[in-house]
Order: sequence, then structure tokens, then C-alpha cells
Amino acid sequence: MKRRIVVTGFGALAPNGNTAESFWSATCEGKSGIARIESFEPTGFAVQAAGEVKGFDPAKFVPNRKALKVMGRNIRFGVAASRMAMEHSGLLEAPPDPARFGVVMGSGIVPTDVEEVGQAILASLDEAGRFDLRRFGTSGQKTLFPLWLLKHLPNMVAAHVSIFHQAQGPNNTIVTACSASTQAIGEAMRILERGDADVMLAGGADSRIDPLSLVAYTLLGALSTSARAPDKVSRPFDRDRDGFVLGEGAAVLVLETEEHAKARGATIYAECVGYGSSFDAFAATQPEPEGRGAVQSMREALKDASLSPDDVDYISAHGTSTVLNDLAETVAVKKLFGARAPKVPMSSIKSMIGHLIGAAGALEAVVSVLAIRDGILPPTINYDTKDPACDLDYVPNEARRAKVRTVLSNSFGFGGQNASLVLREYAG
Amino acid sequence: MNARRVVVTGLGMVTPLGVGVPRNWQAMLDGESGVKRISRFDVSTMAVQIAGEVAPLPRVPEDAAVPDLGIHARFALVAAREAWADSGLARARVDPERVGVFLGSGKGISEIERLTEACKAALAAKGLFDYAAFVRALAKDFSPTRREQEDYYNSGSHVARAVGARGPNWVCITACAAGNHAIGEAYRAIRRGDADAILAGGTHSQVDLMSLSGYATLGALSPRNDEPHRASRPFDRKRDGFILGEGSGVLVLEAYEHARRRGARLRAEVVGYGNTADCYRVTDPQPEGERVELAMRLALKSAGLAPGDIDYINAHGTSTQQNDAMESGAIKRIFGGRGEAPPVSSTKSMIGHLIAAAGAVEAIACVRALEEGVMPPTTNYEHTDPACDLDYVPNEPREKKLLHAMNNSFGFGGQNIVTILKRL
Repeated sequence: MKRRIVVTGFGALAPNGNTAESFWSATCEGKSGIARIESFEPTGFAVQAAGEVKGFDPAKFVPNRKALKVMGRNIRFGVAASRMAMEHSGLLEAPPDPARFGVVMGSGIVPTDVEEVGQAILASLDEAGRFDLRRFGTSGQKTLFPLWLLKHLPNMVAAHVSIFHQAQGPNNTIVTACSASTQAIGEAMRILERGDADVMLAGGADSRIDPLSLVAYTLLGALSTSARAPDKVSRPFDRDRDGFVLGEGAAVLVLETEEHAKARGATIYAECVGYGSSFDAFAATQPEPEGRGAVQSMREALKDASLSPDDVDYISAHGTSTVLNDLAETVAVKKLFGARAPKVPMSSIKSMIGHLIGAAGALEAVVSVLAIRDGILPPTINYDTKDPACDLDYVPNEARRAKVRTVLSNSFGFGGQNASLVLREYAG
Repeated sequence: MNARRVVVTGLGMVTPLGVGVPRNWQAMLDGESGVKRISRFDVSTMAVQIAGEVAPLPRVPEDAAVPDLGIHARFALVAAREAWADSGLARARVDPERVGVFLGSGKGISEIERLTEACKAALAAKGLFDYAAFVRALAKDFSPTRREQEDYYNSGSHVARAVGARGPNWVCITACAAGNHAIGEAYRAIRRGDADAILAGGTHSQVDLMSLSGYATLGALSPRNDEPHRASRPFDRKRDGFILGEGSGVLVLEAYEHARRRGARLRAEVVGYGNTADCYRVTDPQPEGERVELAMRLALKSAGLAPGDIDYINAHGTSTQQNDAMESGAIKRIFGGRGEAPPVSSTKSMIGHLIAAAGAVEAIACVRALEEGVMPPTTNYEHTDPACDLDYVPNEPREKKLLHAMNNSFGFGGQNIVTILKRL
């Protein structure tokens, strides 16, 4: 018999809320966390809007100052979200068997700290002002924090989380850009299903609101350069969408076998019933216009759940607010859901928090669980003008009450990796 | 329902010893070394000046359309194309949606030089970093596609595109364990029925200025600049750190029935997989290797094997004091001491540490060892170490009929992966 996998806790750190519950209530109220960048002065940048996490105090979660020094911002987010998830699940006080307890996190490239590297560059210049490798060796590298490399290894999020909670079981880090944390949750499901662990922490953590990433994503043409007010820029499925907005944060879910959850009397918030993954064999950084790969990942996830498209009550969209993604996703949903497509509500929380890349899918999974728990569909805000090509029900601007039994959560990666999850009301 | 059996039907690799499995295998049996003074950039003032470089860099068909192709994707494409051709799947009628790609993939950060003008502009006035000046200067000559192509996930994307694999596709980075990790998870995915064939393995390049500097500062690298060939010396008493290597190994894993039906050459079977985390420190392995021991035990259990069934262990064997003593201790607790435990060797003695590619390249060495009945040596083994007192197949390959080989990979940060391969 296939083991059933349930969600027994979650923690989140988002641009519009520093706990899962505050993030969820802000999201249901349509409150945007996107504002003018504050972590550095963005004057002169073509893009100045982003979804930054505000007022976060890492020392609240990591009292050990030495440990904190080797944690980059993304690692701090991940550890904080994991702690909140553990607390929520009741496992912080009564930890599971360490050998049967694992971690899978979505993560990615950790951006270069240009202020830090800038000093190393200055110390490496020759007389003509060129970067001189020899001088880097003699003096440039000495200006760097000796343990800087530890902040730049993507697997360190999962490594710190596992050390923090003594999760000595399976440990993995997925780095498939925008799909990473959805795949991380899917991988954790597989590990539990086959009996390799009883409890898994699964999610993602990412932070790319830094000068270099901002320039790089802008030059790639991925970010919106709209002159609107920051909180109006991210507008998935709206006719006037013109690119995504960078967000940062983390979310971690406690996944558990049903048997283990029941034995310890845990509160069960939802059941993870399906996972599917596929690849778009199309051009890099662009989805297949026909949405073939997206259809495949949604179809595989539903098949895995032994459900049909008719069972889906709500779609948590990838909905990045780029012209191409939102169109391709709409086309794919229409293909898979047929005549029923306009009747299936589908919204994108990226309208409020931006695109958290390696953490995006994890935040969306938390929203999926809460939509089931509370019977509320979060809105797609900034939906002002209908796009004739995007003509589905995007839950525009206002949250909506609805009976939600089954949610399909989509993530489609920059590199062509697609992943979909199916979460369901736990019926015992 | 009986879980499906998973076999290896294709192999491909590129390492500091060269391109292709035949070339690499012969060089390993000959005990060659691919470790040299670094030629890619000026290392004359660096504390560590040696590495296992792949030179010259192999060309790939993608070069025409993707001028900024990342070096990790380049290696993966070379290894994947060889494995794909070797498997014969290109000629078979396969459903592309049932073919996946699982890769461990890593890449060093190599943009420091490219940031020179922007950082100079930002720091021109003493005091604060002037971001407006930074962005003005950066926009002039910064290539966003180059940066994007260097992202880890791109290796998985390029490989899938090259062979038309539309099935499950993921890229993991569990540091030094990633390649073996991808093999273990691909084995599980095929067993479960998520795909019929998966290109699984790893690719990595950190032979770049910043990585070399970063690892050297952590004290992880051997500083034997004067004798590069002798610098990687796993289990030898005078070992003093690992050697950065680069390259890729890719295996085609396939459902047994699928492979048999199409008359494929079955090269080995994947029969066991174990995965644990150290939970000790992010910089050092847990000294007693308790979690490493558990990973090996879990792999044995999943394969339904007893320790006595293992005929050869391809060690993680990095050539650091800590790893090699810890790994030897863990092996002894499971398999017994010298005379009882199977022979153990580390091919890192010849190619250095390929980080995310290491476990995949070593899995290929295991497959070849099973096929040929010969174990590759641990070279540079000259001084016995009381803390490492097993049979490390020192300096010369050794013939032995092998049925089961165990492949160990332990990641920096504490991820431990063990897989078991079986001769067919």
C-alpha cells in the first residue's frame, strides 16, 4: 500500500509577512509586500521595485553568533522558516527520530556581494587600474572574509537546517531555478512514500535582491521596468504585465507519513497526493508557447494523485507576470482542463510578493495548504485590464470564499524544468 | 507490485585524464595523473597552484548557438552525448516524456574580473559604495546571458535539450555527493515508474580563481605545488588536502524490462542506495563517521545484501586527513579490518576531486571494474597510516572477480550518499 503523506506544519518568511499566518492574512487582504528597494540605494537602476523581507531579526532564530556569520541571507531565511515550521508542527518540543528525519530544500546561485568583492578588486588593481590576478593572490583575497565560500554554497541551506534540527536522514538541495522548491517538496514526498523517512522538512529559501542580480535580470529582459508605483508592478495575467518583480524569503513545510502524524496526534492540515515534473525542450529562458511541458507536469501530478482535472478546485499559478509565462500557462490550463478551464479559479500570489525564484514554489505550497484549511482563494492583485489571450478566472483583486478540496500548484523554471504538486483536504 | 529493476545501459565521462570512458578507464588502470599546474589563469601568487584541469576544453555543437555556455554544462553535454550514444537509445523508439535527466551540478563563481570597472566606479569616491555609479559602469559590458548560463540548472537543461528528454528533470547540488545522489534518486524514480530511462550523473567546475582561493583559505586543498602528480594521496599518511578537479560523468539508467526489450547492452545493475546527513559542522565531517556508516548500512539494507557480499568499495577518499581516517573507520565497523573488509580504492588519487561530478565518475569506474574484473588503484600510496589500515589497492590495479561494488560520496556540509552496483 502506498504511504499517505500529510502536511503537519509550515513556516514562512515573505515580503508581506514574517510568519506564515501574517503572510497568509496579508495575502488574503491583497496586501502587496513589493516596495522601493531599501537594502541598498536603487537610484539609477532601471528597476527599483522588489519584494524585500522587512524587519527580520536572524538572531531571534540563530542565537549562536559564530554560526550566523557563515550564513548568507538566504540561509538565515531558510533556518528561520524551518524553525517556525517545527514549532508549528509541535516537533520542536518532541523531535522525531533523527535517523528518520530529513531535509530537502530548493535553493540556487547565491549572488556575489559586490561591496565585499569591490574591496578585493580595489586591492588587486595594477598601475593601469586593471584587475591583476597576481595582486589578487598577494593582497586582494586577504580583504575577503576567510569563510566567505561557506555562504556561497547552495547546499548550505539544507546543511544548516539539518544541523539545527538534527535531521540526520536524507538530505538534498534542488537548484532548478523557479521550480526548485516545488521539486524539493515533490522529492520529500517520494522519500516518505518509499519509507526512507518518517518526517521531512521541505521547502526553499532564496534572496536575489542585490545590485548584481537586479542588473542581470533586467538586462535579460525578465523584470518589469514599469514606472508604476512598486506595489502595482507585478500584475500576472493583466494585459499590461511586462515582466516579473524579484522577491525574497523562505517557506518550509513539515511533511510526514500519515501513520507517524497520527501516532503523535499531530494536527493535519492537508495531504500531499501528487507530484509531476517535466522538461520544456524549447529555448532557454522562454516557456514553450504551446505549454506542452506545463501540461505534462500538471497531468503527471494528477495521475500520481489518481485524480482528474475535474477534481481540481483551485490552481496556484506560476503566474510570473511576464508576457510569455502567463500566456503559456493559460494555454496549458485550457488544454488540460478543456471546457471547464474558465470555471477553475487560478491566482498568482506573485502579484503581492514577487518572484522568489528558488523559494517561490514553497510559498505557493503554503498558500495551497491554507486555502484548503480556511476555504479562501487568495487574489491576483493589480488585475485591471483583461488580456484577450488570458481569459480564465484569475480571482481578480479580491479574495474569495470557496470550498477547496484539491489544489494544483505549478512552478515552471527558467531553464525549462516544470513541476506541479497536488494538495488535498485530509479526509482521514 | 514488484519494484522495477534498474540497469546501466550507457556511460560517458570527461575528466582531467581526458574525454571518453575508454580513455579514462585505461588511464586509471595505468595509474596516470591528471593533476597539473593550473593553466587557465595566472596562479603564480596563489597558495595553491595545482588542479585537475580539463584542457583543452572540449567543443560541443551548442557552441554555435550558445556563445556563453557554462563550463559545467559543456562537460555535462560531452559526457551525456557519449552515454546516450553508448546506450543505443537514440536509435530505439522511446517516448521522450519517459526519459528524464537528473544531474548533480556545480559551478564556481567566476565573475570577479568582470566586475572590475563597475566596482572601481562605485568605489571611486572614498566612503560609501555608490550603487548608481556601479550600475552605470556595469551596464556597459556586462553579459547577463553569460551569468545565466553559469547557473547550476543549465547543465540539466542543455542535456535534456540535446537528447530530447522531456521527462522528470532536476538538478541537485549536495556538494561532493551530488553526482552519486543523482544516480541514487534516478534509480528510485525508475523503480517507482516515473520514467523508463534517466541520464543521471554529475558535472562540475570550480577550477576558477575564487573557488581556488576560497577552498585554499578553508585549508581544504593540498599545497604540494612542486609535485602536482603526487599531491592527491588518499589514505597515505602524508596526505594533506584534496585537489580540485573538474569534469562530468553521466550514466544512462534504464528500467530492466525496457532495456531488455530493445536488446540493449546491460552493463550493470543499480541495487542499493543510502542517504544520511552528518548534522555536525558545515566545515568538517563528523569525526567518527557515524552517519557515513549508517548510509553504507542503509544502502546494504536496501539492496538486501550483507557486508560480506561487497567485493570492492570505491571510496570517497578525498586525501584530507579527516575524511580518509573517518571513512576507513566507518568501513571497518561494518566490514571488519584488513583481511575481512573488501579492497577499497580512491580514483581521486588520479583526477582530484570533481565535487558534484565525483560520485558519477566513480560510479562509472565501478561499472567498468565489475565488467572487467579489475579494480583501479589508489595511486601515491607510499606511507601506511595507522588510522587508515585497510587494503587500498595501492598503486597498481588488481584483478578480481567482482559481483557487487559500493560507491561512497560524502558532501561538504554533511550529505552522505552510498550506492551499490552489481555485475549482470
